[in-house]
Amino acid sequence: MIQNIIINGLINGSIYALLAIGFSLIFGVARIVNIAHTAFYMLAAYFIYVGFHYLGMSPYISMPLSVLAVGLLSIICYKIFIQPIREHEAAVLIATIALAMVIQEALLIAFGGHYLGVPPLVSGYATIAGVKVTYQHFLALSVAVLALFGVWILLMKTKLGLALRSTAQDREVANLMGMNEARVAMVTMGISVMMAGIAGAVVVPLYVLDPHMWMHPLIMMLAIVVLGGLGSIKGSFVGAYIMAFAEVLVVFLIPMGAFLKGSVALSIMILVLLIRPEGLFGVAFEEER
Amino acid sequence: MLLEVANLMVWYDRALLINDLSMGVDTGELVSLVGPNGAGKSTLLRAITGLVAWEREITRRSAGEDITLKGTVTFNGERIHQIPAHEIVKRGLIHCPERRRPFREMTVLENLHAGAYLIKDKNEILENLKQVYELFPILKSRSRQISGTLSGGEQQMLAIGRALMSEPKLLCIDEPSTGLAPIPRAEVFDKIAAIRKLGITILLVEQEVSTVFKMASRNYVLSSGKIIAEGLGDQLLQDEVIRKTYLGL
Repeated sequence: MIQNIIINGLINGSIYALLAIGFSLIFGVARIVNIAHTAFYMLAAYFIYVGFHYLGMSPYISMPLSVLAVGLLSIICYKIFIQPIREHEAAVLIATIALAMVIQEALLIAFGGHYLGVPPLVSGYATIAGVKVTYQHFLALSVAVLALFGVWILLMKTKLGLALRSTAQDREVANLMGMNEARVAMVTMGISVMMAGIAGAVVVPLYVLDPHMWMHPLIMMLAIVVLGGLGSIKGSFVGAYIMAFAEVLVVFLIPMGAFLKGSVALSIMILVLLIRPEGLFGVAFEEER
Repeated sequence: MLLEVANLMVWYDRALLINDLSMGVDTGELVSLVGPNGAGKSTLLRAITGLVAWEREITRRSAGEDITLKGTVTFNGERIHQIPAHEIVKRGLIHCPERRRPFREMTVLENLHAGAYLIKDKNEILENLKQVYELFPILKSRSRQISGTLSGGEQQMLAIGRALMSEPKLLCIDEPSTGLAPIPRAEVFDKIAAIRKLGITILLVEQEVSTVFKMASRNYVLSSGKIIAEGLGDQLLQDEVIRKTYLGL
């Protein structure tokens, strides 16, 4: 039981962290609330499905390809739908909701509402303290953790990361350092959606695919971001694991409690908003002049 | 002239902030820009370094206030008023903004690296870093500290150091002494004099007239978006009207 909780908590937490950090990143840098974020996660999963079942591609090739594809697609969508209205925050919010709906409906038309799946990349399992854990779960966990580490390197150790963080903190001053703020926003969009794509690739062999699979992670992601503090990367990381463990605990400890999964996130979100609206690592946004 | 502003006009909606203003800065000078609050000093700097044009772009898209910009700004013989702010930096015209505005959540060192963002050569960055540390030893001892936790004076040093990292030909500093206690304030002015000795031309916006007039090679007095007087500090201080009305001395 405890082993189950730990393994599932870690895997879900890492997936949520990938999603929530990407979501925080694009919000922090460009003030874009990207509701379509998890729709891109779903899209990446479907791309891998198509690659496997229709094109006969090995998942090892189709996974990186689909991550790149959603990244590229997001930049195209950004250029067409978001950039022209970027300074209207409410309009951007509505545009991303519309984008998510378009993706969902397109998948419904193309694949119907059926549950689809991709077989695991690796078979077999290990037994840890009496609990069977499949190698696929280990693979998922390590890919997710590796991706998170990669993002950390990107943010903290590269020039692009420096530009991202500078723009997130004060885009006018970032301009004065010679950073092209509009291009940084576009690149951030691509990076954040590619993170969602990696999360999608990681879950493909573990979960079933359907055109509504973006809803639950969206709610979790929003709850995580509220818990961690909007725009805070650290908050998103910590919040993701808290939320994942809360979810797993409810599923495992409350008999027949799996249906309560979604309400955990919402309850935590409401509690945070009541008690500490700025979240765990809330950033007080200074008014830009 | 290194920098030449000709017939510049800036409107925010219908408010005329800069009114047919012409001015210039020669290589090697320290030119000061003084005047009462709301005279348009900061707006002038922002117009020169491209921030007003940038703001016009983003407000046009958000249906905010309408910003209009007319006139020309020439830097080093090149017309720059059509060039985006982030590209102007490449040409060596650097703006050290009002209220210091360090990247508060980043360390001192990261802030300085952000200042050298456009420099590709790693050795050159190290070279500049060494120079900035020599000028501001306090930044070296605090290089790992989160810049939001620095004192006001240290933050000002950081803001100037960050601007120096990009190897400016002309450094525009906006109100460096505002909100500082007398000792750090005097220190900031000392550093500005030291920067000038390095051969960097400076355009200094300040409220602290008495100190600035002693340092500057030339001064402009700005009021209601217009330059109403120009000259050496002593000359300006002798004029009773300017002294009382515009400088409040």
